[in-house]
Amino acid sequence: MSWNEPGGDKNDPWSGRNDRNNPPDLDEVVRSLQEKLGKIFGGGSGGGRSGGGSSMAGLGYLAIGAVVLWGVSGWYTVDEGTRGVVTRFGAYVETTTPGLNWHIPAPIEQVQVINVEQQRFIEVGYRSGSGQAMGSVPKEAMMLTKDENIVDVRLAVQYQVKDAKDYAFNVLDPNSTLKQVTESVERGVIGASNMDFVLTEGRSEIVSAIKAEIQAVMDAYRTGILVTSVNLQDAQPPEQVQGAFEDAIRAREDKQRLINEAEAYSNDVLPKARGAASRIVQEAEGYKEKVSAQANGDVSRFTQLLTEYKKAPAVTKQRMYLEAMETVLNRASSVLVDVKDGNNIMYLPLDKVVGNSPAPAVEAVALPEQSTSPGSSQPIQKYESDIRASARERDVRGR
Amino acid sequence: MGNKLVVAVGATIIVLLMSVFSVAETERVIKFRLGEIVGADYAPGLHFKWPLINNVKKFDARILTMDSTPERFLTMEKKNVLVDSFVKWRIGDVKTFYTTVGGDVGQANIRLDQMMKDAARSEFSKREIKQLVSTDRSAIREALITNLSPHAAKLGISIVDVQVKRIDLPNEVSSSVYQRMEAERARVAREFRSQGSEAAERIRADADKQREIILANAYRDSEVLRGEGDAKAAEIFAKAYGEDSEFYAFYRSMIAYKQSLGKSGNIMVLEPDSDFFKFFRHPK
Repeated sequence: MSWNEPGGDKNDPWSGRNDRNNPPDLDEVVRSLQEKLGKIFGGGSGGGRSGGGSSMAGLGYLAIGAVVLWGVSGWYTVDEGTRGVVTRFGAYVETTTPGLNWHIPAPIEQVQVINVEQQRFIEVGYRSGSGQAMGSVPKEAMMLTKDENIVDVRLAVQYQVKDAKDYAFNVLDPNSTLKQVTESVERGVIGASNMDFVLTEGRSEIVSAIKAEIQAVMDAYRTGILVTSVNLQDAQPPEQVQGAFEDAIRAREDKQRLINEAEAYSNDVLPKARGAASRIVQEAEGYKEKVSAQANGDVSRFTQLLTEYKKAPAVTKQRMYLEAMETVLNRASSVLVDVKDGNNIMYLPLDKVVGNSPAPAVEAVALPEQSTSPGSSQPIQKYESDIRASARERDVRGR
Repeated sequence: MGNKLVVAVGATIIVLLMSVFSVAETERVIKFRLGEIVGADYAPGLHFKWPLINNVKKFDARILTMDSTPERFLTMEKKNVLVDSFVKWRIGDVKTFYTTVGGDVGQANIRLDQMMKDAARSEFSKREIKQLVSTDRSAIREALITNLSPHAAKLGISIVDVQVKRIDLPNEVSSSVYQRMEAERARVAREFRSQGSEAAERIRADADKQREIILANAYRDSEVLRGEGDAKAAEIFAKAYGEDSEFYAFYRSMIAYKQSLGKSGNIMVLEPDSDFFKFFRHPK
């Protein structure tokens, strides 16, 4: 027979587990142990046999002491964030939680303490040694994409133990298994994506796909590992083509720069044009006002004169004529030629006369000027000549 | 008496120890009777055996890894690819495992590696690189598991999983890939720059167009205004001067004479029988 038949603990001689919440006092432990051992060795209460000699009693006490010591050695503490996996003769019994626990001491039961909260991590494609620069591992980092390009990918996988029993029993070296699976899975995911997607907008999507798939495989192997996060440390084109990629990025910036410059030009030209347009219209409005005001002025002057003229037409006309002539002849060098039937040749030294003339006292009389519209295709030039003209006009008026 | 007891107890303990064996969760055990296999696959825990007659051998029950060395394979388009894969396996039938490879994991791995490479060779030669890398990964995996399992079972091995880690191009092919990538990037860069020029040109041209339109509209509006002014003035003049057009002509002429004649050293050659000289000659 065997003490532990396959398929159950019904014949378990050590069924009396201690209540883990309040550890029993030592006496009780010792007593129960004595009973148990007594059962095993078929004796009565261990070593307490009457009729033995003093040496026997001594031996008995020695045995009891040894048993007590052996029993005490079964106390162990499980730290916060760890679990104890207890096996009896190699068979799994239970997983103990943090606190003080007792197991039947070796060689019957053994405890394997496994940290379930510690965040462990593996690095694929690089090694971050302490104090040294991040070293790439091309063999792990270089992989093909769907569009047959090569990318350089560096991953860090964080994980913890979610099931201490599975972690302890199911897979030889779960940690390196995780690394192998990560390498395989990441290549699968990257291989199914295009390079641009990997390098730019696809990062988070790829990371979550990789994480889910790693977890699925690890669960299939029942490794007891939980992948807490997958970090894409780096995803970039291979070093050999970095220059070309950087140039493409620069080109993208150049494009933006050219556009910005053009926008700046536009922002410079349009307000100026609007300003100029506004000036042209304002000038025209000014002109319109000016012309009608002048017309009103001229007309008013004329009508007043007309009123007077109607009272004494001949006299007024005469006076006006004479005044005009006076003004004109006052300025001009005049030559009076009192010759009828000019058969005689008359010599006028014009060249001498010209130049000795006094400077003309100009008196400008504002007349409605005829606006000329040459219909030029350059309104600005026209507008500028208008300005010059009006400036001249102002100049003249200022005198 | 006491000594006898001690000896008896000691002997009992030794015999007890020799007549039990334990099986851990991570172990597979074969029990032999004088070299002949009499049992296997014991549940974890304590088991009984006859001292001296029975003995046991223990094997690893966990999932083990055959991490194969990278190998070159030919694809369908006769290109070389470098493949690195691993097989996850565990001992299936422990007796067979013991008899075929002597229970030696290293030996088993060597055999598995060969099988794996044979199976992979046929799978890879059926496919092109693109399929290997992106589309057919899971199909290859399933095919390899299906292929390997019966062969591995002959060694008492059960295949848990086959994973292809790396499918890489050999160095000489890689460099041509890099060249292609560079050319591709150069094309993209040129495209960006020319797109930039195009957009910039559009913006500038649009700005110029708008400027022309703005100015032309302004010109139109200004001419309309000037015309209105002129019309208004003409109307005013016509209304006033129409009252006595003869006098207006006279009046305007006088102004015009004053304005235009006798400026800047003009010389006027006059005949003395004009109205102005009426009294100059005949002072009556």
